Amino acid sequence: MPGMDMARGKERSVKHLAYLDAGSGSLIVQAVVGGVAGVAVAAKLYWRRLVSRFRRQPTDQS
Amino acid sequence: MTIPHPGPAGRPAPSDTDLRAEPGSFRDPANRIFHAGPDVLRALDETAAAHWRALAGSAFFPPLMAAGKVCGTEELPAQAAPANWAALLRHERIPFVSHPYEWSFSMLRDAALLHLEILRAALPAGFTTKDGSAYNLQWRGTEPVFIDVGSFAPLAEGEPWAGYRQFCQTLLYPLLLGAHLGLDFQPWLRARVDGIEPDQMARLFKGARRFLPGVPTHVHLHGRAQRRNADRSTAAVREQLRDAGYSRELALASVRGMEKLVRRLEHEPPASHWVDYQRTCGYSEADRAAKERFVTAALTSAGRGRLVLDLGANDGRYSRIAARHADHVVAVEQDPAVVDRLYRTLRGEGERRVLPLVMDLADPSPGGGWRGVERASFAARAGADTVLALALVHHLAIGRNVPLPEVVGCLAELAAPGGRLVVEFVHPEDAMARRLLANKPDGIFPDYRRDAFEALLAARGTVEDRLELPSGSRTLYRVALGG
Repeated sequence: MPGMDMARGKERSVKHLAYLDAGSGSLIVQAVVGGVAGVAVAAKLYWRRLVSRFRRQPTDQS
Repeated sequence: MTIPHPGPAGRPAPSDTDLRAEPGSFRDPANRIFHAGPDVLRALDETAAAHWRALAGSAFFPPLMAAGKVCGTEELPAQAAPANWAALLRHERIPFVSHPYEWSFSMLRDAALLHLEILRAALPAGFTTKDGSAYNLQWRGTEPVFIDVGSFAPLAEGEPWAGYRQFCQTLLYPLLLGAHLGLDFQPWLRARVDGIEPDQMARLFKGARRFLPGVPTHVHLHGRAQRRNADRSTAAVREQLRDAGYSRELALASVRGMEKLVRRLEHEPPASHWVDYQRTCGYSEADRAAKERFVTAALTSAGRGRLVLDLGANDGRYSRIAARHADHVVAVEQDPAVVDRLYRTLRGEGERRVLPLVMDLADPSPGGGWRGVERASFAARAGADTVLALALVHHLAIGRNVPLPEVVGCLAELAAPGGRLVVEFVHPEDAMARRLLANKPDGIFPDYRRDAFEALLAARGTVEDRLELPSGSRTLYRVALGG
């Protein structure tokens, strides 16, 4: 259950990761700790996110 | 692994009315632990039952169980499953349930290594574990055992380990605190049932410390990745990782990397005065020999016991003697450095029936987690056949100001009904008692007297045997409690 950090005014959802919830960030870090091949996977993931953001923008505006 | 009680054919399956739900088992709705008399049972839903059968038929799981690395488990006949559950398993009984905040550094590290070893065996066989908690592990004496059989699930190709976050929070981070900062991790784990979070760790590892082994990735990068991906679902991230080419080989490489890191973490706590206590506490050879004879006679007088608690165990001299006359011994000592040394020595000697635990008897483990019962208190778990309290009472009564009737009451209540208490009273004139009293205002403990102590024992049971040690300043008692 996400709680509110009043001082920062944003959700601190990472503080309340449920049991059996792997945690999105915790999944990504595992690629990086898997050595060179893992870093390549993480880089590919972030590259795809970047590309998809630029691809989406024109359609969002239209 | 043979289970130390008859199989399903040898004994009727428990009925639903016999079952008592384990309060610490509710976080994974797919399975739940129940107790029925001496039996430890695990009820499984349809999916978990299918996973269990696949696991039992796999090539990797039976050898782990045979080696005692996973707790002994057998499936009971289908009709034994309680209402609303698909299957019922019977587990080997763990001699004494302990919590990770009662373990020493080397114990936590060996537990972490066993978890990783099991995962490394599971992954190539197409299995993973749903979680990675330190609470997945227990001890059979000085041998760690993986108990959460319900945690195994088929591995979906391209998925990282779901238990990594928990592994970091409850196993890796406490080890990093010990190895890199020289801190005792026990209070951290005791205070937080889910372990230490990456953000908290990051604050402790700033400046040059952020480059210590394991810290840049598992602490800082981990914390940052959690913050940056907090609004993304794990399902979406799993899909992105799969599309980017995450593979089983990569998962295995991460586990191997983690094993390498954990194996090199070392913690040599500064030597406290307890480390040399046995040598410096001033027993003569005659005292020691008489004390050993008395304790041995006390342990053998009532036949072989199931559990002996050795409170204030120090170097484990009397725990080892107790292990010859009882099935299991729990050696409790407050100093983590002493417990760590004892654990390593016992492992080296091949003594497998003594479980050393870190605990201050003036501040024993309370109940923790949900409603304070998810992690049972020490008092609720004790129930020993024999309680050994040797050279302990004066430390509590004088050192910690605990009233003498309270001390005797506490020791007696750690025994099961009809149990025995073997206790040593250090007279106020003894050198050690005088040393403790020297730090207190004069005349503060007028009731710390041998006759007062004996009256308290008599009120708790029958004093069956007593011996004043040759030096004349210490007396041992064997008390049959109750009645």
